[in-house]
Amino acid sequence: MASSDVRDVLNLPDGAAGGPRPSKKQKISAPRPNLKGLAREVHNLGGDNPIAIVPEVTQFKKRRFASRKPAARWELRPFQNSGREDASLILRHWRRAEEGKQPSSTAGGGEGQAGENDVSGSKGEEEIEDSSYAKYNVQVSVPQYNDDQYRQVLENPDWTKEETDYLMELVRDFDIRWPLIWDRYEWSPPATNGEADADGDESKAIVPATRTRSMEDLKARYYEVASRMMAVQKPVQYMTQPEFALHELMAHFNPQQEKLRKDFALNSFGRSREEAREEESLLLEIKRILARSDKFNEERRELYNRLDYPHAEQDINTFKSSTGLQTLLQNLMTADKSKKRKSIMGGEAPTPTGQPTPQQAAPESARRDSAAASTGPRDSAPAAAPAPGNKKAQQQQQQAQQQQQAQQAQQQQSQPQERKKLTEQEEIIYGVTHHERLGSGPTFRTEKINKLFSHKSNQQQLRITNTLNELDVPAKLAMPTAATTHAFEQLLASVNSLLDARKVTDKIDAEIKLELAKKAEREKAAGIHEETEKVEDAGGNAKDDAAAADEPSKEEDNKGATEGADPADEEKEEDDGEDATPSDEAAAQPSVEQDDDDNDDAADKGTDDQLESAAPKRSASVLSDKSDKAAKRQKK
Amino acid sequence: MAPSNQFGKRVKLTQIRRPFVIGSTALPFSDSNPRPPGTPDNHTHSWQVFVRGMEDTDITYWLRRVQFKLHESIPNYVRMVEGEPGKPFVVNETGWGEFDITVKLYYINDSGEKPQTLYHYLRLHPYGRTEEEKQAMVAANGEVRAWSYEEQLFNEPYEAFYQILTTGAVPKGWKPAAGGKGGKGKGKNRAPPPLPAPDSGDVWERTAMIPSANRPGQPFSRETEAAEVKKLSDAQLKTDQMAKQLLAELKKKEEQLAKLKAENAAAVKPS
Repeated sequence: MASSDVRDVLNLPDGAAGGPRPSKKQKISAPRPNLKGLAREVHNLGGDNPIAIVPEVTQFKKRRFASRKPAARWELRPFQNSGREDASLILRHWRRAEEGKQPSSTAGGGEGQAGENDVSGSKGEEEIEDSSYAKYNVQVSVPQYNDDQYRQVLENPDWTKEETDYLMELVRDFDIRWPLIWDRYEWSPPATNGEADADGDESKAIVPATRTRSMEDLKARYYEVASRMMAVQKPVQYMTQPEFALHELMAHFNPQQEKLRKDFALNSFGRSREEAREEESLLLEIKRILARSDKFNEERRELYNRLDYPHAEQDINTFKSSTGLQTLLQNLMTADKSKKRKSIMGGEAPTPTGQPTPQQAAPESARRDSAAASTGPRDSAPAAAPAPGNKKAQQQQQQAQQQQQAQQAQQQQSQPQERKKLTEQEEIIYGVTHHERLGSGPTFRTEKINKLFSHKSNQQQLRITNTLNELDVPAKLAMPTAATTHAFEQLLASVNSLLDARKVTDKIDAEIKLELAKKAEREKAAGIHEETEKVEDAGGNAKDDAAAADEPSKEEDNKGATEGADPADEEKEEDDGEDATPSDEAAAQPSVEQDDDDNDDAADKGTDDQLESAAPKRSASVLSDKSDKAAKRQKK
Repeated sequence: MAPSNQFGKRVKLTQIRRPFVIGSTALPFSDSNPRPPGTPDNHTHSWQVFVRGMEDTDITYWLRRVQFKLHESIPNYVRMVEGEPGKPFVVNETGWGEFDITVKLYYINDSGEKPQTLYHYLRLHPYGRTEEEKQAMVAANGEVRAWSYEEQLFNEPYEAFYQILTTGAVPKGWKPAAGGKGGKGKGKNRAPPPLPAPDSGDVWERTAMIPSANRPGQPFSRETEAAEVKKLSDAQLKTDQMAKQLLAELKKKEEQLAKLKAENAAAVKPS
């Protein structure tokens, strides 16, 4: 837009720029004629410089008289339509005259030459062209039959031959357009007395009731006839595929169904809008009800299944008693265990479950064997193989096995992610082992040994390490492998039992000392007593009783000083608190020992002899009892 | 707990072991082992602590990185060593004192396992109950070696990790594709050789194999293991014998005690 236009819009006075404006316009107007196609505004955008858009120069109407050909000649030509029944009818139409041929009959347009025309017409009848529309006059092929054929195959109680003929005629006339046929169908059966006149109804003696035939009836009859005639002309087994299809279609025409269909269509066309809506909602309702009933049925079935108990195959009377129930329970438990085991094994060695292999079908025992052997390489064949002698079965088994292996190989190929079964060699090389129980996660081999130590008290740890030192075994393994760890565990177990034995020995040593001390004490007392007895021997036997009575009391006093309890009590005390007694004994011993030091040796000799004769009431059972107790204490 | 779906299921009741060596080597400063510049005066030894595979095989396929926690007086005392394929995890230092090094092993991401901790006591001076043991720690060039064999046990590894741990065994130094180094055309995709017999004594990459015999610098082998097992079983035999003897003695003593007690009891009762 030029500045003058802006000024114009803003109503600005021309002012200083007013002067040159006209001259400018003059300049601009100069190139204008060249650029006629452009709008003025577009042109003005360029300002002084002409816009470099060159409009295409279009030249209309140039080729107007380019082809100067002579006008085409047209001629009026007669033609006949072979499709028409009245072949004599000759009509004319305009046609392009052919170049080479001079129109001979062009002049023959007048009525006056009709006579000539007739003569030449007979001659030129061959020349008269057929209408190009004649080919559209197609006749339907209606089944043809003669009397014999009718009698043989087409008899129908509802139809007479005449009526059938009439039907066929109509069909042919109306080209199987059923609505038309039905519309025009007016069969008046001929009088049966055979004197039917063309003009008189009166002559007929009996007039069969005319039936109104529905379109379906007509169709049914026609198709019946057509299909039967097809079958007569060409037996069914020789028909080609489309022929046979057509035959089947026609032979199985069902007028009732057709009628219902039409009625339904008619009804649905006749519905009002409200009715249609209602029907739709009803349909929805039905669907919902059906779905709900399905669900309900499902639930009910499930409930029944739950309520149902598995019917026993064998007699259950054996399980009715309490002992029977016990055995049943045990059986179930063992079965459960074996199942669990199997499932674990199965987890390790996934077998293709898609096809039941003979191995699976093999007897239960064999299967269990193979499952147990499946931890090793895949050589479970001998375990699962049937008894020797049954060669055929064995072969089958082998084949099945090969198949299975092939299958497994395929599986491995198809699913490389799937964990494959390692061979024994691979397992050793890769350090793969299987265990009964495992906590998941990474651990170190030494941890196990460390745990063995850390679970003990400090004192015990010290004892164990001392013992190990004694044995010249370092507490830390140089190479903690599975074998060494196992050996070390065993060693520790025996060291522990050794330590236990030592502990018990120490205790018994202490007890022996105590008993010896007691004995020495008693002997000392007895020795004194003997002396007195010797002195008083002469005094008579009367005093003996008193001495005997006196002795126990003295003993008792002694005991009270040392322990203050009977031997029986003492034992009990030992049982109760093993830690308490040694200290008691230790506290008590020195005082006793000091007294008996000089007597000890003699006493020992004496007791040894006496011990032999003393009743060995305490058998080995006591010892084992003790060691048991020691073990218990260890556990605590 | 890592999400189980990422790694698949754990392979139940299965354990995979991987032997490795954790240890330290110390060498006092001397003419042949000069003190590196910038070392404090009171330092007496140069040492290194390491985690490596048997016979220096690669362990980075299951071990991603190792954290060595040194003594706190050492600058930057937490050393994280990322794994480089084919190389051991090593920290080199100088110092004057012995201490416990906390070694934390981080497994590869595919394992889905949490890091585990080991301890190694740095030895600068030979240690042992006897002179022989002390002597055994010192190598020919005066190095003090405190090496210990350890087995990493992966209990119930995840499927993916199991796959990693149980495939790809190749001899040491075996190149999967010769084209990578020099010749381009020949032996491009050489199939790995068949697995060796488990007791062949070779140590292959990516296996749990242990050499059958000791070699200088490789003290851990089947030989050592067998010797140790023998030693342990001998010791056990000895212990059992001792226990047996002790038990026999114990029995005698028990009898004696019983007699004594019976005697005493009998004496107490008025006859």
